[in-house]
Amino acid sequence: MLKLTKGILTTLAIATLLMMTATVSFAQTTGSVTMTATVSNFVELTSGGAVTLTGNSGGSVITDGTANSPLAVVVDLGEVGPSNTNSFVKLSVPLRLRSNVGYQLNMVSSVAGAGATSFSLKDTDVGFGLTPAARPANLAAGVDTNATPGDPTVGGSTDANGRWVYAGANSTLGAYAVSGAVLSGPRINKTVAANSNTSLTVPAIFAVKPQFFDPAPAITITAQFTVVAL
Amino acid sequence: MPHQKSIITNLLLLITLLLVAAVTCFGQSTTGTVTMSATVSKFVEINSGGAVTLTGNSGGGVTTDGVANSPLAVSINLGELGPSNTNSFVTAQVPLKLRSNANYVLSMSATVTSSGTSASRIVASDVGFGLGTVSRTGVGVASGSDTNATSGDPTLAANGSVNGTTGRYDFTAVRSNLSAFSSATTALSGPIIMNAVPRSNANGLTVPAFFAVKPQFFENGTTTISVTFTVTAP
Repeated sequence: MLKLTKGILTTLAIATLLMMTATVSFAQTTGSVTMTATVSNFVELTSGGAVTLTGNSGGSVITDGTANSPLAVVVDLGEVGPSNTNSFVKLSVPLRLRSNVGYQLNMVSSVAGAGATSFSLKDTDVGFGLTPAARPANLAAGVDTNATPGDPTVGGSTDANGRWVYAGANSTLGAYAVSGAVLSGPRINKTVAANSNTSLTVPAIFAVKPQFFDPAPAITITAQFTVVAL
Repeated sequence: MPHQKSIITNLLLLITLLLVAAVTCFGQSTTGTVTMSATVSKFVEINSGGAVTLTGNSGGGVTTDGVANSPLAVSINLGELGPSNTNSFVTAQVPLKLRSNANYVLSMSATVTSSGTSASRIVASDVGFGLGTVSRTGVGVASGSDTNATSGDPTLAANGSVNGTTGRYDFTAVRSNLSAFSSATTALSGPIIMNAVPRSNANGLTVPAFFAVKPQFFENGTTTISVTFTVTAP
């Protein structure tokens, strides 16, 4: 009898131990999911819309700018010799910038096919400038630094030889034979969706004063903009 | 086995996600170009260089004077050219102003019509002509050597004399009278006139054009002398 009782007790003890173990196992009630992500520097340059060509004699816009599309504008400025009696041939190209970081807009330019005498049209005869406005409220607050003097048709005078000289530093393509900064600033966009249309739009103005340049039937002026993250 | 399939599927999804993210990043446009073309055509221009000077005239006068930098459209009444005019010559000096961004050629053509019918009427060879001293001065005017195809002031003694046989005064030097310009003929040529300066620069090459008639016993009547200057870029 005693032996039977001892066996029952032993069995009960083992059963209790197993139940306790089971209880401990069922007590796992949490889990974890770990995610990683990256936000890279984002800077973007596209067209800000249609260009504006004024003061031209002949010439036309061949490939216009389309807002939010890659910037690849082609324009025939027409006659820039003395038969053009306008004060300036002026081209305004809207640029559209977006970023989630500080940015710097650079430009490099060239002039070809104009001849090589002292009377030929040179890169210093092509005025250039940006005319950024204050940022609207839908953009991140910040002040953009314009490295150009602005509209190249404002100011300027003739030099001792009678040739037109644009006012201020960095006011002609002669300053951008190698890539140089034209505009910089802090983060442009607020935390908005990538498909948001909010952007910083800046007109880039190119100008040529018609003068007694050496005759040249096919002058090509190229300006390439590049935006980089600071 | 199903567990392995699940792992492979998850890996493929992850790779696809990474590729899409990469494409999205590289898709941002960070450069743009503005390409401009332009033309500088040859440009040559003739205008009046200013007021006309008429001397030696008896009667007559400047009907339409020259105005500097305005189109040349001068009209002059030379007055009396018969023997009642006791002056040595009736001379009209017409200032011309030329500008160019290329080599230029100034040519001239002239006609002389008279109501007279005899050999004593005024004809083209009786009207002396020549270009004076060329001036390239002022800011924006290029230096250069111009070629004067005329003999200069036709009233100079070296440029004419009384014909020993006929007694008529002849302008004898090269291109010293209008008979040498019955068709368009070069009077002046030269290199580029202006530096690279704006058109608003009012300077240019100036040269006086002299016309002269020696009063003589011409057949009476009226005479019209028409001269056209043309500048071209060869």
